[in-house]
Amino acid sequence: MSLTITCPICGKRDGYEFRFGGEDKGPRPDEDGLTPQRWCEYVHLNECVAGVQKEWWVHKDGCGSWFTIHRDSVMNVEVATPEAHK
Amino acid sequence: MVEIKRYSPVAFKAFPKRTEARDNWTVVLEYDGEGQGANCLVDLSHITRLDVQSSNLDAITPFGITIPQGLCDSVLQDGVLINRMNSIQASVFCLSGKRPEMPAESSYTETTEVGMCMAIIGKDVFSITEKLTSLDFMDSAKITPFLYQAPMSHIPCQIITLSRDGAKSGILFTASRGYGKDMVHAIMDAGAEFGLKPAGEDRFKSWLNTL
Amino acid sequence: MITRINQLPTLRVDPANKVVFDYKGKDYVGVKGDTVATALYHNDVRIFGRSLKYHRPRGLYSLDGECSNTCMEIDGIPNVRTENTLVKQGMKVKEQNVKGSAENDMMGFIDKLDWMMPAGFYYRTMHKPASLWPVAMKQIRKAAGLGVLSPDFEMPGKFDQIFPSADVVVIGGGPAGMNAALAAADKGLRVIIMESRPWLGGFFDYRTFDYRDAQYKNSKPLYSRARELASKVESHANIRVFKHTSVVGTYTNNLVTGFQIGTENDKFNERYIEVRAKSVVVAAGCIERPLLFDNNERPGVMQVACVHRLAKTYGLLAGEKAVFSVGHDLGLEAAVDLFDLGMKILCVADVREDGQNPYLMIELAKRNIPYLKGWVASKAHGSKLVNKVTMTTIDGTISRDFDCDLVVASAGLTPINGHLTLAHATLRYDSHTNFFVADKMPEKTHAAGRMLGLEDSLSIEISGKLAGLKAALDCKLMPQSYGNTETDALKSEIDSFTAQSKELPGPARGSKFVTAPVKGRKTFICFDEDTTIKNIKQAIDMGFDVPELIKRFTSAGTGPGQGGIPGHNLPLYVAKYLAESGAPPKPTNVRPPLVPTLIATYAGSKHIMMKRTPMDEMQRADGGVFRKIGVWERARYFSDDFSCKKEIENVRNNVGMLDGSTLGKFRIHGPDALKVLQRVYVSDMSKVKTGRVKYSAMCNDDGCVIDDGVVIKLGENDYYFTTSTARAGATIEWLRYHTRFDGWDFYVINLTDSMGVINLSGPNARKVLQKITSEDVSNSAFPFSGYKEFIIKDTIPVKAMRLGFVGELSYEFHVPSSYMVSLWNMLKDAGKEFNIQNFGVEAQNVLRMEKCHIILGQESEQRTNLLDLGLGFLWDRTKKDAKTIGAVALRQAENDPTRFRLVGFEMENNGRAARDGALIVDDKVRGYVCTARDSFSLNKAVGMALVESHLAKVGTRLEIFEDECGGERIYGTVVPMPFYDPDGKRMKS
Repeated sequence: MSLTITCPICGKRDGYEFRFGGEDKGPRPDEDGLTPQRWCEYVHLNECVAGVQKEWWVHKDGCGSWFTIHRDSVMNVEVATPEAHK
Repeated sequence: MVEIKRYSPVAFKAFPKRTEARDNWTVVLEYDGEGQGANCLVDLSHITRLDVQSSNLDAITPFGITIPQGLCDSVLQDGVLINRMNSIQASVFCLSGKRPEMPAESSYTETTEVGMCMAIIGKDVFSITEKLTSLDFMDSAKITPFLYQAPMSHIPCQIITLSRDGAKSGILFTASRGYGKDMVHAIMDAGAEFGLKPAGEDRFKSWLNTL
Repeated sequence: MITRINQLPTLRVDPANKVVFDYKGKDYVGVKGDTVATALYHNDVRIFGRSLKYHRPRGLYSLDGECSNTCMEIDGIPNVRTENTLVKQGMKVKEQNVKGSAENDMMGFIDKLDWMMPAGFYYRTMHKPASLWPVAMKQIRKAAGLGVLSPDFEMPGKFDQIFPSADVVVIGGGPAGMNAALAAADKGLRVIIMESRPWLGGFFDYRTFDYRDAQYKNSKPLYSRARELASKVESHANIRVFKHTSVVGTYTNNLVTGFQIGTENDKFNERYIEVRAKSVVVAAGCIERPLLFDNNERPGVMQVACVHRLAKTYGLLAGEKAVFSVGHDLGLEAAVDLFDLGMKILCVADVREDGQNPYLMIELAKRNIPYLKGWVASKAHGSKLVNKVTMTTIDGTISRDFDCDLVVASAGLTPINGHLTLAHATLRYDSHTNFFVADKMPEKTHAAGRMLGLEDSLSIEISGKLAGLKAALDCKLMPQSYGNTETDALKSEIDSFTAQSKELPGPARGSKFVTAPVKGRKTFICFDEDTTIKNIKQAIDMGFDVPELIKRFTSAGTGPGQGGIPGHNLPLYVAKYLAESGAPPKPTNVRPPLVPTLIATYAGSKHIMMKRTPMDEMQRADGGVFRKIGVWERARYFSDDFSCKKEIENVRNNVGMLDGSTLGKFRIHGPDALKVLQRVYVSDMSKVKTGRVKYSAMCNDDGCVIDDGVVIKLGENDYYFTTSTARAGATIEWLRYHTRFDGWDFYVINLTDSMGVINLSGPNARKVLQKITSEDVSNSAFPFSGYKEFIIKDTIPVKAMRLGFVGELSYEFHVPSSYMVSLWNMLKDAGKEFNIQNFGVEAQNVLRMEKCHIILGQESEQRTNLLDLGLGFLWDRTKKDAKTIGAVALRQAENDPTRFRLVGFEMENNGRAARDGALIVDDKVRGYVCTARDSFSLNKAVGMALVESHLAKVGTRLEIFEDECGGERIYGTVVPMPFYDPDGKRMKS
């Protein structure tokens, strides 16, 4: 896999050591007053940015930690900051 | 009457020449015709291993040894190897082979049984590992001993590089116990062209003394 | 057999060292260093095979395996590129895609039928009527294609893989590549250089011509300069050389993949190579752009380097009388060189108006070789081999025939850009070099040498050096690297070499695109796919205007050569044909692998990594029939009766043992451990009592069940829990993911492999257990759902649970894996008097099905939620603050009438059990059978199914549709669950 991902614990590694955990959508909303619509949006709706997005990854074959990176979804490369590839 | 014995997940196609009964394990000290070949593979699955987790890891000193601060740093002291896995977790290997007195704190979990544990020692260790993993053991930014938490032959492992000094080179690794048989097969196959042979615990210990 | 020139200093063969191999059942003799192709050529083989579609004779053309002309079957492996394969003693070589022989192919007549097969004719003609296609396909498959592989073919040889670490990877071992490698290695970096030929040297390697000698101090010919560089490279401590290694993929983040062909001393036939470099230098050089004229692929037509290298590298003169039609200086050089080796050169035609190297012109004149400026070959003659060529002026006004046995044809040069474009370089057409050149380079990638259009040897070398230094700078600028002073020094070194290189000749002017003035019916633009210029015109006339689409429609460039032959000509031709549009030529895309690669090479050493339980060996010895189930090897049956009648009856009536070690097992502790359990489990985990097991389930955010298992409280905020086998690997990840914003303090350890699990089940289970422990295991002291820890024989610590998955009195022992065999043997020993037996996963499956205990993945799929399965009682609705995963969705699904329900059913009229996965239907699909078996305990066939809720009522008749049932339905009736021991008396007794 050409993708490399930088794990905050283990450093830069081959992408296949990791599993994708979705776009960063913040913490779970409180259940009180939660509409089905809003819940569905939180769980299922994604931005699918053609460009740099912040997303969660887990180092499943390594240290097991969850963390976020910025990835350019067009070139499929990790970028240091959201601005890096604009 | 059934005799109570403990079995390693690792078995070599070699005859034990000298063994020692230890804590119900039959530890092979030397294999028949083991010799002093350039590269060897040693089963250390019987050595006691511990997992220690705490949000205040600094306050914990396994067997009186300070856990290294740096992520993925390791320390080898008095036959105990401690590897910093992340900010709250470390693994402890009691390389002496003797069962130590277990620390009482609940932050410890014994993990001896979780995995196989093996050492690959010799001048061609990294020629063998490069057939099994893309990890860069020669990374000049790292200082031995250091920890890799990464796959080898596709299986997640903890790999500690203890030495990368020519003929003294050697690594120690653990991985899920269930993969024992296939892992030995993969390593022996990769090491065949370098004359990799199984060796007993004595070989490991004398090597450890040189570090 | 042609005589080999034995005394050349450039030879890469050892004429004294004979190699005997078999070609079509007869012994042939080559020499060490020969490729199969050169050895055959030496033995007068001229026709190597027949083409894909028209069965035209084909022969040596490029000598670098750029087309399928010379693919053959070697040692049973079809489609081997003979130009890239060294001949070995005893090798068995056969031609392919011929009926008869390559020499006399009975399918050769098809060549005359080309008018029946315009571009895209398969797509356009064979589909009406639709029934025609299968018939047509069969006939076409018989006639067309390359090698044939039998279905039971097993790949011979040893394959391996290697993932070496390096700072800089250099692609190409020619003069530029070697300079790059040395420059980077001298800066202390670890360099890997990959070269597709079995030696380093590139296009210097075979050249002795001395017009450039003066530029080296000691008047060195190019080949000695190459060997001098090669010896420096090979002896450099920081450089690893991979020869006979084709790079097949280059990707973002400097990932380079390739494969190496082993030498006699290697332990592999081929091995896959993958390197993640910090920086990459691409110095892949050029190949030749084929000249387009009629019969331009007739055996006897060859490219310049093919003829030149045949002579200088292999000592073989390709023909006696040659006509050259070229477009670059290497062609002139080859003519002079070959003349000196004794070849008769009838004339050298050059499509260029000007720009020829004056030294070469003088050398041609000295040898009285006729030189035709502005002329080009227009047609090769000869039915199988070239015996004549028609030469024409470019405007087509004058032509002249030459009797000859060799036409050396080359329109120009073309850079090997695939390594750049795969890594996302964009190309633009450069009208000076007439090359596609990289417009935007991939990050940390540097091109060098001839692919930049350079022709001057010193320019090429310095461009390599510069690329190597730039790659070194990339590495040193990375974090965790050297000090700034060093990068400053490196930068100024780069500046000074850049200045030096400006003093030297830059990119040379390339020859313009010229085609012979012919119609193109037999002018082949792609040899692999038999695509002619006429086909391209047809495609354009049908409206295709982009080379990438024309490539698809005509299949030009989709063969084994991967566009090596048509890659440059196709876009040039399209641009020329569409001249009025004024658009620059657009290149077609290349894809990995750049060079045909064996699947076996990708598979490498093929280690299958499976998990085995501590009982593995013993259960095999006991007759266990093993299956791969998830990551585990598991004993599924213990006899060849796959209905498991005996195993099942033994558990129901006596006592059996199952190895359940694959179950997921975890310890979670730390101040916030309970909070985590409350988040992931649907039940209220604060109610877990010490000494009891709590069964619960985990859902995902849609309320769908992903896992079930038991939780045991070991202490305050200290729990032991189990997961299903399949979920074990993802459990810690799941816990951490769903608490990632909370900052909770908890610790999880995966103990799956550390604990073996023995399931002791059956009415006699207690009697067996009591024999090995003094612990009170009576029903009152150790009741159903109880949990106990005890130590067997003062040695083996055991976690014991009273569970009832199989519906009988049942104990589950979790025991340290190393002790598992010992404990198992104790139980087996104790159970001898009852005739205790093994049971496997399938027996367990039936036993629990009779009890209607679910297995996730069997009684559920991705959309099945907790309520569908009737497990709603597990869900605690009051713990809203826990933000339990799935709770929101379950609340929304609670009154949803469209959801499926899990029901039990029995087959009508004592019928056999429906197959798992069979559909429940009326006029629509209404559900499916999850698990159904003939139950020996109940003497009828029963099962569970997920059905639409209106079919869930007891007594409802279910119509069941099985795969390939031919319209024949079977029927079942919904009955109450569970089927066996509905009150649970047996498991609680």
